[in-house]
Amino acid sequence: MRSGHLALSARGVQMQYRDRGTGKTLLAIENVDLDVPDGAFVSLLGPSGCGKSTFLKIVNGLLPATAGEIKLHRVAKGREDAMVFQDAALFPWYSVLDNVAYGLVCAGVSRGEARKRAVPFIDLVGLKGFDDKYPYQLSGGMQQRANLARALAVDSAILLMDEPFAALDAQTRELMQAELLRIWNAAKKTVLFVTHQIDEAVYLSDRVVVMAARPGKVIADIEIDLPRPRPLSVKRTPEFAVYEERIWRLIAGEYEHARVASQPDAAS
Amino acid sequence: MTETTAFRVIHARARRRRHPLRRWYRGNERAILSAAGIVSFIAAWQIGSDAGLISKFFFSSPVEIAAAGALEVQKARFWEDVKISASELAIGSLAAVLLAVPLGIAIGWYRGVSLTFDPWLNFFNALPRVALIPLVVLWVGLGFEMKTIIVFFGGFFSIILPTVEGVRTVDRQFLDVARSFRAPERLIFTSLVIPGTLPFIVSGIRLAVGRVLAGVIIAEFYAQTAGLGVMIARSEASLQSDRMLFGVLIFTVLGIVLTEAVGIVERYLQRWRPSLDLEEAA
Amino acid sequence: MIAVRGAPAVQLLGRLRSSNERVFYGVFGFVGLTLAWEIAANTGLFRKSLLSSPSAIWKAGVIDIGAGTLWPHVGTSLEEFAIGFIVSVAIAIPLGLAIGWFRRIDYFLNGLLAALNATPNVALIPLIILVAGIGFESKVIVVFLSAFFAVVVTTFTGVQSIARRHLEITRSFGGSRWLAFRTVALPSTIPYILSGVRIGAGRALVGVVSAEFISANQGLGFYIGFFGTFLDTARVMLGIVLFGIFGVVLGELLRVVEHRFDVWRPELHR
Ligand SMILES: Nc1ncnc2c1ncn2[C@@H]1O[C@H](COP(=O)(O)OP(=O)(O)OP(=O)(O)O)[C@@H](O)[C@H]1O
Ligand SMILES: [Mg+2]
Repeated sequence: MRSGHLALSARGVQMQYRDRGTGKTLLAIENVDLDVPDGAFVSLLGPSGCGKSTFLKIVNGLLPATAGEIKLHRVAKGREDAMVFQDAALFPWYSVLDNVAYGLVCAGVSRGEARKRAVPFIDLVGLKGFDDKYPYQLSGGMQQRANLARALAVDSAILLMDEPFAALDAQTRELMQAELLRIWNAAKKTVLFVTHQIDEAVYLSDRVVVMAARPGKVIADIEIDLPRPRPLSVKRTPEFAVYEERIWRLIAGEYEHARVASQPDAAS
Repeated sequence: MTETTAFRVIHARARRRRHPLRRWYRGNERAILSAAGIVSFIAAWQIGSDAGLISKFFFSSPVEIAAAGALEVQKARFWEDVKISASELAIGSLAAVLLAVPLGIAIGWYRGVSLTFDPWLNFFNALPRVALIPLVVLWVGLGFEMKTIIVFFGGFFSIILPTVEGVRTVDRQFLDVARSFRAPERLIFTSLVIPGTLPFIVSGIRLAVGRVLAGVIIAEFYAQTAGLGVMIARSEASLQSDRMLFGVLIFTVLGIVLTEAVGIVERYLQRWRPSLDLEEAA
Repeated sequence: MIAVRGAPAVQLLGRLRSSNERVFYGVFGFVGLTLAWEIAANTGLFRKSLLSSPSAIWKAGVIDIGAGTLWPHVGTSLEEFAIGFIVSVAIAIPLGLAIGWFRRIDYFLNGLLAALNATPNVALIPLIILVAGIGFESKVIVVFLSAFFAVVVTTFTGVQSIARRHLEITRSFGGSRWLAFRTVALPSTIPYILSGVRIGAGRALVGVVSAEFISANQGLGFYIGFFGTFLDTARVMLGIVLFGIFGVVLGELLRVVEHRFDVWRPELHR
């Protein structure tokens, strides 16, 4: 969008899990195509178990897909992508500072240098003064901020965010959403954001990609044409409600469809 | 820039057709390798022994040990020794469980009492109990009683300490709930304290297995009267290392069987609580 | 306001109790039982030859230390313990880490290790004496073996219980497997290693005593056994008490080390 090229392009991605013990397979996602322009904020929205985390892990290189191909636009230095995990997934034996510096350490930066470079990101997510605290000394929301700071610190072109706010209370979640938009705007990153909250997806995104479960596939791709910057009050405008309603219908229809399909007798 | 340098491409996993034998190996790797480990250990021992790399004088070969064992089991004396060791183990361990559990629960239930006994329990738990052998010899001589008492000591402190700890840590919250419902003390005991303490008791018993086995062996070495330990010690004295290693092997098997058995009970009792995972706790 | 109850001495006792319950009761139990033991022995409740008495043990200790006949035994035992135990831990920890980290090494060795761990190591003492003689070396070997398997087994159990998601983080950020080992496997395994070391220390102590009973002419185990044959209960008890004290001190020291590594474990800060 901003510079015109695609940051990520997925074609025909399929993932089939195999149970090592029984040898049974489970088709988690089937034939997903997705293009994410550079600098865009795209959400993947879908019910639990539709393969959202699976897709992100494939993009991140944690899992090999069973079919298809993903292209990430190469960056001059460092990694193309960084993951913000679903549960904060901080190391309990590291302080906040060392946790945030960890992505850099993985990239081969020396520990001292990594720590130095991590400090501004701790400030950015509002954890100033908590550098030497251990994760158990932080609230859930603060852990999520550290999780976010760790991904931001490696300065990748793409941020992969897996339901980062799912475990937070409603108020904290809204504050974090607004904060994320602020950071995204300042850092000029591409974001692929996974959620199962409709309002979260609409509020944050340029585009919402709706997925259905069993097997996971894309059923709709909706442009969100709300002006930016978006204050939290956008959520109470009629335009916002229209988007929410539209997506809700899509998902509810899909749910109904699945229910009828799985219980043919119940309809009669 | 060309297309290839502009993008990092993440490919799907190439689906290779693997040879069926290879697939079978991948599916059963654990079982295959651990069998291979044991077999190659025994084989290396045997071959090294036959080739003269391992001294037969000290470490008889597996075949010789088996032969010595086959010979041994035909002797009445051997079964006499087995009977004595088994009785010492059984009586001493049983007495340890029967005394340590109720006593541990009683002590643990009264916080003050349990803290009063703490230094002594810790002392005896840290003390290598086999050090008590000469003292017990002064009490009852070198016979069956001494060895049984040493077995008893071996088990007793390993069990009572976790039992006290278990009762003491029964979740205060549950106790408060029970009390708020005016549950009679007896019910609190049978429905809360006992189930909460059981896993601790069983862990104690698992730790005790090694202690009682070590106890019986050392006591028999020390007393030189009768039992499998004496059979091992006498084989050493007469330089019959095959017979000696056969005796050691009996204790290995006994150790595996007893630990496994207690482990099964332990896992069964802990099925309702998530395993202690340090990461999860953090 | 706290109402005044009882005499000042009782008040002081009450305050002491609530300020540090554990220590209060501990000291009370220790002093109380020691006194009771002394009194019972002197009033003839049991024969002194059975348990001796605290004062007799104390006297024996003072005499033997004064004559310089106790320290050589203590020194020998300490040396056997220290060398065997340190070498054991130094080999067992890397081995345990390797077994835990490399799946195939684990598969290959776990059957063998289970068998060796279940074998009461003291059963091997006659064999070790046969191989290494009755001197210093055989005791060091016994100590080494006694501690070894406990440390190996707890260490690899620790490595294997690393949470998957923690290993995923390193991979996610492109870190190498070696980095994951240093930054994930090692720190999360340290609590396991330390508890393995503590268990191993207890077993090593059993090894020292047992080996010295069976063949020695020096060492605290020998001291106990020797005076046992002379029906000198006070010296037998002295040896036992010294072993117990050593066990307690060692256990406490290792616990302190454990706590030092535990800053990130919240359950200890409740
Ligand atoms: N390691 C695995 N092995 C086997 N099946 C798996 C594995 N991980 C996920 N699955 C299955 O794949 C499907 C998709 O899982 P995934 O975690 O991607 O869902 P999700 O959309 O992220 O759900 P949620 O919103 O609950 O996080 C599920 O049916 C799940 O059971
Ligand atoms: Mg998920």
